[in-house]
Amino acid sequence: MRITTSMVQRNVLADLNSLSNQLAKTQAKAASQKEISRPSDDPFKASQAMGLRSGIGANEQYVRTIQDATGWMDSTESALGSISDYVERAHTLLLQGSTDTSDAASRKAIATELTQIIEGIKQSANASYGGKYIMAGTAIDTPPYQIGANDAYQGDEAGLDPAIAGIVREIGPGVSMTINTVAREVLGDGQAAADNKLLHTLRNVVDHLNANDGPALRNDSTAVQAHVDKLLGVRARNGSQTNRLEAATTRLDQISLALTTQLSNTEDADIAKTMIDFNSQSAAYQAALRAGANIVQSSLMDFLR
Amino acid sequence: MPISSFFGMQTSLRGLIAQQRLLDTTSHNIANASTVGYSRQEATLSASLAQQIQTSGSANQTGAHLGHGVDVVGFRRIRDTFIDAQYRAQNTNLADWNARAANLDNAELSLAEPGDTGINAQLTKFWKAWSDLANNPNDDAAKQAVVQQAQGLTDSIHSVRSQMVAAQQGAMGEYDQISKVPGGEIAMIAGELADLNTSISKFVINGDHPNDLMDRRDLLLDKLSQYGQISVEQLDGGSLNVSFVDGTSGTAYPIVSDKTSTWAGPPAGGWSPGGQMGGLLEVGRSPGGLVDGYLASIDSFTSALATNVNAAYGGTFFTTGAPAGSTIAVSAPIQAAPASITSGSGGTGSNDLALAVSRLVGNPAVDGAYKAFVAKVGGHLNEATRQQANAQVLTDSVENRRQSVAGVSMDEEMSNLVRFQRAYQASARAMSTMDEMLDVLINRTGRVGL
Repeated sequence: MRITTSMVQRNVLADLNSLSNQLAKTQAKAASQKEISRPSDDPFKASQAMGLRSGIGANEQYVRTIQDATGWMDSTESALGSISDYVERAHTLLLQGSTDTSDAASRKAIATELTQIIEGIKQSANASYGGKYIMAGTAIDTPPYQIGANDAYQGDEAGLDPAIAGIVREIGPGVSMTINTVAREVLGDGQAAADNKLLHTLRNVVDHLNANDGPALRNDSTAVQAHVDKLLGVRARNGSQTNRLEAATTRLDQISLALTTQLSNTEDADIAKTMIDFNSQSAAYQAALRAGANIVQSSLMDFLR
Repeated sequence: MPISSFFGMQTSLRGLIAQQRLLDTTSHNIANASTVGYSRQEATLSASLAQQIQTSGSANQTGAHLGHGVDVVGFRRIRDTFIDAQYRAQNTNLADWNARAANLDNAELSLAEPGDTGINAQLTKFWKAWSDLANNPNDDAAKQAVVQQAQGLTDSIHSVRSQMVAAQQGAMGEYDQISKVPGGEIAMIAGELADLNTSISKFVINGDHPNDLMDRRDLLLDKLSQYGQISVEQLDGGSLNVSFVDGTSGTAYPIVSDKTSTWAGPPAGGWSPGGQMGGLLEVGRSPGGLVDGYLASIDSFTSALATNVNAAYGGTFFTTGAPAGSTIAVSAPIQAAPASITSGSGGTGSNDLALAVSRLVGNPAVDGAYKAFVAKVGGHLNEATRQQANAQVLTDSVENRRQSVAGVSMDEEMSNLVRFQRAYQASARAMSTMDEMLDVLINRTGRVGL
């Protein structure tokens, strides 16, 4: 083949061009640490990376939701704990008052303390988390109980009645959990409703103390003990839900790690390989420059006189 | 027939003149070594018609033929028209993929994927905002955040769509610039070709070879082949008919017929001319172009987003018009009062609606459709870039073959220069030998004893 001057120049230029193109690409990879910076670099991997990014984003949100739910559950647990303490104290007082050695005056004194305990229980039930009343169902801006003689529950049934959705948190893809405990379940609506719930029983006890009714008081003891057990049951349920949240967090952490690793495998550049590529390409580029400079410079003119 | 004593002078003179022409041609080649489209030239020499003389020694006394030197018959350009045709076909293909790659590049850039600013990231943030609202169903700040993120998302969709439209219009603008009549680039080349056909045929009819004019005409044809697939028909008398050929139907659209420019612009209906025009049409034409498909994808993804969110929300959160991609917006009442978003169908704390919307995360009709769309855009550009590289290699190799035939080689010209110079010197020496001979004859003969 006849080789002409312009051919040599064109070839040298084209080779240099393609080499410096490769160099620029490798340099961009090394600088951005990314194997793919645009969808066209590898359409399949790019869409995979996008999916993984969305997955990681969704996971972060689940973790956030779980943190919020855990806070909610912890507040509920502490409220239930303090109610339990009050009920225990009420039970002790009741046992004291029900003995035959107590007279009417001491029973009246106990009744006064018990009335305070009832207020305390109602206040504990009015616990809030992040400005939301946690035991009022979905009526989160209404305190479940009013302080004073009115024992009627002010919230709604959401979460207690299975037909009404309560406070629901999405803790994983397709996994949701009702996290609220409705105060009415344990406390009830007081004497007016005659529902044999905690407030009803305690108000009865107060009445019996004031009436100096020893036998009735001894009967009340079992009822109060039943409420202690009931509260324990609710707290156990609450605790198991907290455990579930913890398990979900662990699982999400694992998924998050897997997704991040996969994303890194998909779109991150292999630094060692990139640097080796870069070095070999820059050596090739320099060799091409040297060869090009020599071949373009020399001609027959250098040797003719 | 006797021969003149000065016959040899004449022979040498012809030699001198011929070598001078050869040197002139070499200079012309060297001068044009880097001229685009130039094909090297060569002086065609031929021995002059011999003189018949009678010699006593010839076998049948009829005479002998005495050489009479050399004549320059003509100058020819060295070029292979078959390689030209191959080059133009490859050039058409290369320009096609070049146009696609360049214009799809714009479309892809507007997506800003994968990254933290693209629609994908905005979508993720949008779903997060709904999930935050589900966690704080009566919080006005959370509702405000939902509206803000929704507006961020709709802004991104609008901007991607309008940039896609800009890419489409850019491609069609370039197409018009090339093909319009009058003033388009094809029309200008057609005019020039018609003029060149006129001048060339004038010379060819006289038996001349206007090499440099033909080079210019070939260069124009090369340029034309970049715009679309051309067919060239040689006419008697050196002129040409040139037309674009539709790649699918085979219909010819004349550009130049003999000495008149007949380019009337692209046909009213669709056509597939190949080349840059074909590439631009493939990207930008509406309906049927690639970007047109992208716009449809954006619109259908946007509609799916609005429909799904509204269905989950149980009301009108997004409003869309036509086309969906550039009209989607957060509904006016919600924009005016973000607090009017209802998070749940029950009490203040109920969050079933917000939860239902946030559960759309990763929905195949929304997130999935968008992801598939990005992969489609990337796939098209990926193919265009690959094909462009292939076409570049093929075009380069044909161009190399062409240059191998028609290009100027400096080494060759240098050695020719030496060769012709030596031949010139030798002819001059022959002439001075003749001169010395005549000197003896004229000045010294008959001077015996003087």
